[in-house]
Amino acid sequence: MPIERIAVGLTVNGCAVEQWIDPCAMLLDVLHELGLSGTKKGCEMGACGACTALADGRRIVSCLALAASYAGAAITTIEGVGTPDELHPLQEAFIDHDALQCGYCTPGQIMSALGLIAEGCCDRATIREGLSGNLCRCGAYPRIVAAVAEAAGL
Amino acid sequence: MSGERARRIEGALKVTGRAEYAGEVRPDGMLHAALVQAEITCGDVVGIDDSAARHTPGFVDQVSYDDARSLAPSTATALIREPVVHFPGQPVGLTAADTLLAARTAAARVRVDYVERPSVAAIDQALDEAYAPAMAGRIIGASHRGDPAVALTGAHLVVRNRYQTAVNNHHPMEPHVVVCWWEGEQVVVHTSTQAVYGTRAIIAHALAMPADDVRVVCRYLGGGFGCKGQLWWPWMLWTLTASKRTGRPIRLELTRAQMFTLVGRRQETVQDLAVGFDATGRLVAIEHDVLAQTSTHGEYCDTTAEVSRRLYACPNVRTLHRLVRTNEPQPIPMRAPGTAPGTFALESALDEAAEQLGIDPVELRVRNFADHDHDADVPWSSNSLLQCYQVAADRFGWAQRPASATVVDGRWRIGWGMATTCYPAHRQPCRVRVRLQPDGTIVVQCGTQDMGSGTYTVLAQMVADALGVPLSQVTVELGDTLLPEGPFSGGSQVTASMFPAARQATDALRAQLAELGMGHDETLADAVQRIAPDGIEAEGAATANADIDVRCMSFGAIFTEVGVDADLAEIRVRRVTAAFATGRVLNPLLTESQHIGGLIGGIGMTLLEQTVTDRSSGRIIGDNLADYLVPVHADMPEFDIALIDEDDTYLPGGVKGVGMLGTAGIQAAIANAIHHATGTRVRHLPIRIEDLLHELPATTPGALPSMSE
Repeated sequence: MPIERIAVGLTVNGCAVEQWIDPCAMLLDVLHELGLSGTKKGCEMGACGACTALADGRRIVSCLALAASYAGAAITTIEGVGTPDELHPLQEAFIDHDALQCGYCTPGQIMSALGLIAEGCCDRATIREGLSGNLCRCGAYPRIVAAVAEAAGL
Repeated sequence: MSGERARRIEGALKVTGRAEYAGEVRPDGMLHAALVQAEITCGDVVGIDDSAARHTPGFVDQVSYDDARSLAPSTATALIREPVVHFPGQPVGLTAADTLLAARTAAARVRVDYVERPSVAAIDQALDEAYAPAMAGRIIGASHRGDPAVALTGAHLVVRNRYQTAVNNHHPMEPHVVVCWWEGEQVVVHTSTQAVYGTRAIIAHALAMPADDVRVVCRYLGGGFGCKGQLWWPWMLWTLTASKRTGRPIRLELTRAQMFTLVGRRQETVQDLAVGFDATGRLVAIEHDVLAQTSTHGEYCDTTAEVSRRLYACPNVRTLHRLVRTNEPQPIPMRAPGTAPGTFALESALDEAAEQLGIDPVELRVRNFADHDHDADVPWSSNSLLQCYQVAADRFGWAQRPASATVVDGRWRIGWGMATTCYPAHRQPCRVRVRLQPDGTIVVQCGTQDMGSGTYTVLAQMVADALGVPLSQVTVELGDTLLPEGPFSGGSQVTASMFPAARQATDALRAQLAELGMGHDETLADAVQRIAPDGIEAEGAATANADIDVRCMSFGAIFTEVGVDADLAEIRVRRVTAAFATGRVLNPLLTESQHIGGLIGGIGMTLLEQTVTDRSSGRIIGDNLADYLVPVHADMPEFDIALIDEDDTYLPGGVKGVGMLGTAGIQAAIANAIHHATGTRVRHLPIRIEDLLHELPATTPGALPSMSE
C-alpha cells in the first residue's frame, strides 16, 4: 500500500519549491528531504531550539511546525543567511567570539538570534531571556550572547 | 609560551550549517529504522510477533535476537544476541521502512511476549547485595595508607557526613545516529561517535570482518561528553545487520527519550566521608566510602574517591568503592567522571572544617597542599595549584569576604564559596600524517574526531607552528578510519596525544626535505616545487603515557558568588572566577571556551540536572528536555577565567587536558556559597529551591479576600 502524499508549495530561502510530502510531515523533516541539513533535529518536541527557522520573519521550532500549514510562507533557514565565503555579520561575530563548540546548536542559535534582533533587544539580559529556548550543551552561552550583542550593535 | 588565540578553523562551516554531521549523509534508497523497546523491567523475551508490523505501509524488514545470533559474543553484542531484558526500554528489535514514520509505526506494532522476573529498581532496594569492584575507572577500587581509623580517633576535629549526587544524562545536542550501507563485503558507517577507530574495531570483531573492510566516518560530532561510545554499539550493529540483509542503506537516529536509557548516564553516588584535622588545620585522616549504581548487564564505577587519595597531603587515607546492580540503564563516564561527585563531597567537607576551625577556606587548602602525590609517593610532573588559588582569589576579591549570611542585595542574600578541581593528564596512542602539497599548502590527517573541543584548530596550529607557515595554509582532516589511527575523544587527552605525533611528523617531513636538498632560506612552497613536485608526506606516531615515577594532573581553583532569593529561595549563580593550570595552553580562546563550557555543565549538575526513576518500574520519569532541566542562557553568571601557563618539561610539548576541569569543583564551590549566603548546608545534588524553603522568613498570613468583593 503506497503512502499518501500531498503537494505543498513552499518558499525556502527565496526559492519556490513544490514538494510531495506526507500530510503529517513536520517542516524540519521536509527541509531535510530538500537537502537542507543545516536545520538540526535535537528533540522533536520543541524543547531545544536546534531546529529554529524563520517563517515570514518569525522564529519557529520547525520540528513542531506542520509543513502543510506553511504553504505559501517564506521560510528562511541557516542556508539562506550567509555562505562560508560571504558570512552574515552575526555569523562572523559567532566565529570571532568563539560562540560555538560542537556546532550542532549553532544554526538554531543564529536563526533565533536573527529573529530576536528583528523583534528588538535592548540589552544582554534581554538577549539571554530571548535565547533561552535554544539549548547548548557544550556551554557556549556567554560567548553566544557576546556575539549577538555585537551584531545587534549593543 | 601561550599559543595564538586562533579562531576555530571549521567555524565558517558550522555557522552556515554546511558542516556535515554523521546523520546528514543521504544515500539513495535509504531506509529509516526504529527501535522496538521492552515494556517490562526485567525478564526474558520468549516471543516476537511482527505480523502486524509487516502490514505497515512502507515496512521493509525487522531484525531481532535471531538475526544477531551469528555475531561474535562480546559486551557490544550481548544485548542484541541474548533475549534478556535488563532495564525498561531496552531494545528488543529494530524495524526498517521507507520512511521514519512507517518505521516507528511498525515498531509500535511488533508484539513481544515476556516472562517477567523480580526486579531491583533502585540501589536502596538491594543494599545487601553491594559489592566492591576491582577497578574504579582506570584505578584500583580500594586504597589504604596509614591508619585512618586510629588517626580519626585522635583528631582535633572530625567532619563526618553523607553526600549524595543524582543520576545525570549527557544529552549532547546531536542525537546518536548511524547511516550505513554495504558495498559488497565492505561496509561504510557514518555515525556520531567519540571513537571512529574504536567503532571500527567493534564492528570488525562482531561481524568477523577484516578491519580494512569497515570504514567509519564522523567528520563533525555534535557533542558527546562521554555517551557517544560503547553503549551505542549494540543498536548500531543491529542497523548494520538490517542493512546487510535488505541490501539498502539504513539510518537509525535515537529519539531524545531514548538518550535517557540507551547511551549511558552519570551514576548516582552515596558518599560517606570522614575528614580529620589537627588543631592547626592539617589533615590527619580521610575515609571515603562510595556507593553507586551499575546495571545488571555491565559494570562501571566512577573514580569518585580518587580525589581523597591524592588531592591533599594526608598520611592516613582509606577509600572504597562499592556498586549495587539494578534494573536501570548502564552508567558510563560523563564529563569529569569521578572528580565531579568526588570533589563535591571532599570540597564541601573542607568548607565545613574551615568554618569549624575558624580558618579561611583558601588558607585551609594551602596548608594541606600536596607537594607530591602522597598516594603513589611520586612527584607531580607539575602542580600550580597554589598559584591558581592566589590568582583566582585576587581576581574574585576573596580578601573582602564578609561574614556568613550578612550580605543582601535587594531581595537576594549573597554568599561566596570556593573549591579545588583536578583531573588526571592522560595520553593515548596516536598517529598523524602531514602532507606538503605541490602548491605549498599543508594537509594534516588524524583518525581522531572533533567533539567540539577544538581538535581541528589546535592540530592545525601545532603543524603551522612547527613548519612556520600561516594557519590559513593548513587543512585538517579528521573523523575517518581511512586516516592514520587517532585516539578516542574522552578523558581530556586528545590534544596531549596528538602533540608528540604531530611534532614527530613535522620533524620527519623537515628531515626528508633537508635530505632532498632544501635550502636553509628556502620556503616550503619553493622547496616542494623544486625538489618534490608531486608533494611529500611524513607520519608521526606517539604512544600512550606510562607514567610510573611521576603523576600528571591538571588543577584549578573555582570561586563563586551566589544569590538566594529571600522570599522564593531561588538560587542563582551570579559570578564565577576560576584559575586553571593545564600545562602549555595552545589556544587561549578555545581553552577558555572549554573551561566556561565545563563550568556550565557543573552548574547544571549542581542546581538543575536529575534523572528521576520510578521506584517500582525502574522507568525514567520525564525523559525529555522540558523535564530534565539543563542550564539555559538565562541561567548564566559572569565568568572570569584565568589561564595559568605551566612549563611542564616532563610531558611531551607540556600539554595537559582541559575539558574536564571546569565540571568538577564547581559543585562544592556553589554549595559552599549557598551555605555562606543562608547558613544552610546542602549535602546532595542537585540543590533546588525546596532544599532552602525552610530558610524563608516566616510571613504573617494575610486575610483572604472576601468572595463577594
